[in-house]
Amino acid sequence: MTIVLNTLETDDYADEIDTLVSNMGNEVEMIKTSGMNISHCLGCNQCWLKTPGVCAIKDDYEKIVRKLVGAQNLWIVSDTRFGFLDYRGKRVMDRIMPMLNMNIEFRDGWMRHQLRYHTLNVGVIYKGKGDQQLLDEWCERAAVNLGGHSLGATALIGGKEDA
Amino acid sequence: MHIVIINGSPRVKKYSNTDKIIQSFAKGLEEDGSTYELYSLSDRKEWDAARDAFNENDNIIIALPLYVECVPSLLLEFLDTLPTKRTKSAQLSFILHSGFDEGFQLRLGERFLRALPAQLGCTYGGCLVKGGTFTIRTSKPQDAEKMTKPYQAMGRLFAQRGTFNTREAAKFTGPEQYPWLLRLMVGLILKNVVNKKFERFAQGWGCVRPLDYKAYQDNS
Repeated sequence: MTIVLNTLETDDYADEIDTLVSNMGNEVEMIKTSGMNISHCLGCNQCWLKTPGVCAIKDDYEKIVRKLVGAQNLWIVSDTRFGFLDYRGKRVMDRIMPMLNMNIEFRDGWMRHQLRYHTLNVGVIYKGKGDQQLLDEWCERAAVNLGGHSLGATALIGGKEDA
Repeated sequence: MHIVIINGSPRVKKYSNTDKIIQSFAKGLEEDGSTYELYSLSDRKEWDAARDAFNENDNIIIALPLYVECVPSLLLEFLDTLPTKRTKSAQLSFILHSGFDEGFQLRLGERFLRALPAQLGCTYGGCLVKGGTFTIRTSKPQDAEKMTKPYQAMGRLFAQRGTFNTREAAKFTGPEQYPWLLRLMVGLILKNVVNKKFERFAQGWGCVRPLDYKAYQDNS
């Protein structure tokens, strides 16, 4: 299963995104987060130390975690700011902590938190002026956190004038 | 020298490791005759004042924890509200810390921060990078104080030099990566000591499940 979290606020790249998503295989679900209520991660650590695997924030992200438990690939579609994901795109990754647990181990040469469920591959599809190299490396590092591999960072090229 | 310090951690101030680091750092600043004002972004009521201070002052430090290899989304959201041009020139510096120990864990975050000041009309005053801070919160107060104490000397140094672009600040990071034997030992310590400590700490929070509990079923 592949989960695509589309955090864009506008639809101007919808066709291009649909084409990319349709090439991801049969089992793909795209979730548009713009109308959803998703808080930033508060760093409270309750998902690791009080209610393992369950976020203390009761909002629409819980649905996303439940989906990720059955997924192998995670794509984040995001606008960019300062060359990186904007806060909406980064927010859905920061909230992924319940997918890991508190225990620490060395894994693939990195000190990491243990996976609560299974490995997850990570990719980014971005709009605007992203730093390609930074985003590529971020995908790689984020994937290491989740025990998976990077699916790479892909720039959206079409859309309207502001592309 | 007067410095605006912005705590970019989303965790409430009372439990913020970043705040404890800032308190120790600021003690060092004051020892060397500098003054500071502090804003915490975890409280959105402080955002307007933090933005005004950012715009009106010429020496700003943002302190932050690493969140998934880069800046926490809450800080990105705040940065999004800042003007990209400014009337008064300023230097922007960073204190970046992370739960994991080795220096190389923080380098992508540092790279993002290095490129940030120019995009906000500021010059870059360097980035103080250090890992191994997760357990500040889970340690006894006296042990937590021991962990944040080294930041006091860094505060004094910043007050004297006005930048983190110094050899001492670079050295503060510690090893980029542990040698393999140390990694082996640290691995054993994690397994036999640290993770068990986390389990006990969790029980103190009223946790009734094992830490690796699978809360949701895979229904795919």
